[in-house]
Amino acid sequence: MITLDKLVKYGANTEEALNRCYGNTSLYIKLVQTITTDDNLEKLKNALDKNDLNEAFQAAHALKGTLGNLSLTPLYEPTVEITELLRARKEMDYTPYIDKIVEKYNELIALCD
Amino acid sequence: MEKFRIKSNYKRHILIVDDEIINREIIGNFLQSKYEITYASNGSEAIDIIENRENKFSLILLDLFMPVMDGFELLDIMNESGLVKSTPVIVMTADKSAEIKCIKLGAIDFITKPFDLPEVIIARCERIIEFFEDKNLINIAEKDSLTGLYTKDFFFEYIRQINTLSSSDPMDAIFININNFHLINELYGRKKGDLALKKIGEKLLSIANNTLGIGCRIESDNFYFYCSPQDDYADMLKEVQSAFDCCDNHHKITLRMGICKNITPDEEIEIFFDRAKSACDTIKNDFTKQIAYFNNELKETSIFNAKLIDDLDDAIANNDLIVYYQPKYGILTDTPVLKSAEALIRWNHPELGMISPGKFIPLFESNGLIQKLDQYVWEQAAKQIKAWKEKYNKTIPISVNVSRVDIYDLTLEDRLNQILIENEISTSELMLEITESAYAENAAILVSVVNKLRENGFKIEMDDFGSGYSSLNMLTSLPIDILKIDMIFIRNMMNDAKSLKMLELILDIAKFLHVPVVAEGVETKEQLTILKERGCDIIQGYYFSKPVPPEEFTPFIEAML
Repeated sequence: MITLDKLVKYGANTEEALNRCYGNTSLYIKLVQTITTDDNLEKLKNALDKNDLNEAFQAAHALKGTLGNLSLTPLYEPTVEITELLRARKEMDYTPYIDKIVEKYNELIALCD
Repeated sequence: MEKFRIKSNYKRHILIVDDEIINREIIGNFLQSKYEITYASNGSEAIDIIENRENKFSLILLDLFMPVMDGFELLDIMNESGLVKSTPVIVMTADKSAEIKCIKLGAIDFITKPFDLPEVIIARCERIIEFFEDKNLINIAEKDSLTGLYTKDFFFEYIRQINTLSSSDPMDAIFININNFHLINELYGRKKGDLALKKIGEKLLSIANNTLGIGCRIESDNFYFYCSPQDDYADMLKEVQSAFDCCDNHHKITLRMGICKNITPDEEIEIFFDRAKSACDTIKNDFTKQIAYFNNELKETSIFNAKLIDDLDDAIANNDLIVYYQPKYGILTDTPVLKSAEALIRWNHPELGMISPGKFIPLFESNGLIQKLDQYVWEQAAKQIKAWKEKYNKTIPISVNVSRVDIYDLTLEDRLNQILIENEISTSELMLEITESAYAENAAILVSVVNKLRENGFKIEMDDFGSGYSSLNMLTSLPIDILKIDMIFIRNMMNDAKSLKMLELILDIAKFLHVPVVAEGVETKEQLTILKERGCDIIQGYYFSKPVPPEEFTPFIEAML
């Protein structure tokens, strides 16, 4: 079960996120859990596999928006990086960025169990 | 005044359009403390919601990147339908580069992602909602819906704003009016009249662009225009006049224009438009002139008029107003018989001396003060009737003027009756003169008022008959007891066959209606003879006597005893 403490340890800026949620902790926890069902990361990976940079950008952009609002910093930061690269439609190997995101994503999933 | 929105608990409604549930929930969570929230997950869903909702949203918060229909497309649609003008849209984006495009599409502001502190966003939403509500209110109130010109209050306020914001170049104040606008309405219907006003509005708006001007409609067919000085206002007049090219019937619609030049910002701006209007009023009945400028002579007149208005109450209190009486003689007998008298007011001003009634009566008629004057004359005349009655045991009926504004006064009858009671005289002794042009104005009301007065026993004289608009048809349906021919016919009948013919015609009509006729302004024996031969009943004029103060009138009574 995920808690605020766990999220602090994970590196999330919970203070900022709670401000944004108007101090509503249970809303924050609930929204963090929806990340596990969010399909943008899946879309991002698939798009990169197909080398569809447009679709990849859209997925990364959406992901960035929600992660930022939840202040999930460890996951948010690499997502910002990849979003900016994709915004420029840069032809390159995105694997290291995806790996980093997946790693931090899995850490978060583990916290939710 | 405290604004309605602050006082009331009424919750405004916000539509949040975002495909990401996390974003929706975060922003909705804090906004719901103040607002009702509806969610849509893309542009097309948003459109469905907007179209099926009876009430307007106070604000739309819009994400840009969404499946099905994105934020740009929704803005596009709202732009085309004009919805962005009445409902503010704030775009939620992390993307700086999209901002210019959104502004062009009509977005009012941005909220960045990740979101700022809720307090900041709430405050922003509040501001924008307030701003738009004010703007919508102003839009309704600032323009006259028919012409698209400003309404009066906004017009003056914008002028004051212009004057505080920019250097004080000289400007001109202009008053524009349509000649006989009521006739256009009468002849062609209100629709046509409205169209004419609308066309003037269009012309003034386009002239405004070239003259740094602004325009407004005051009421009915009166327009104000404020602009940089023009070399030749005939051009402007011609331009405005061309508004009617498209809708002219055989009847030519003409304008008149009063101009107050080079106004200075040291006086209230309204004064200059009053002056432009008073200039325009000087050519009201002169169809050879369409443009009049305010000048010193007019300025003196307006100061003189202001003094008269100021002094009226004192004049009544100090008896500076004196009622004179002019005798009316019946001429159908061998020797003329004193029948009655007409009360006529004179003003002996302590500083200005004797003031001609021609100078103050039209003035008081134009501003309603004539009621005070009339009331005063009625009271004096009633006292006089009583005094003569007591002295000579004989009634000399006196006719007094009843002005247009008295007729619309619901207390008219009570006021008259009160005076009769106070002086112990009857309705048959105080005769009422109503000018012909009053009849034309609103015949229905007038007829009902006059009917009531007659039922109570008052005798009604129609004054100035032939000078105005009355038609023969109107005459047959009018309740009157005496017809008073306009002086002009008497003055002209000796050397103008047409005037004489008209006079004969009027006398015939009066005979047909069994109404006696009074001829005013009779000065000579010849005039009297002509009138007598043609069956005129009663004569008033210098031939018998000019209007005189009461003590000089008594010999006329005593001669009859």
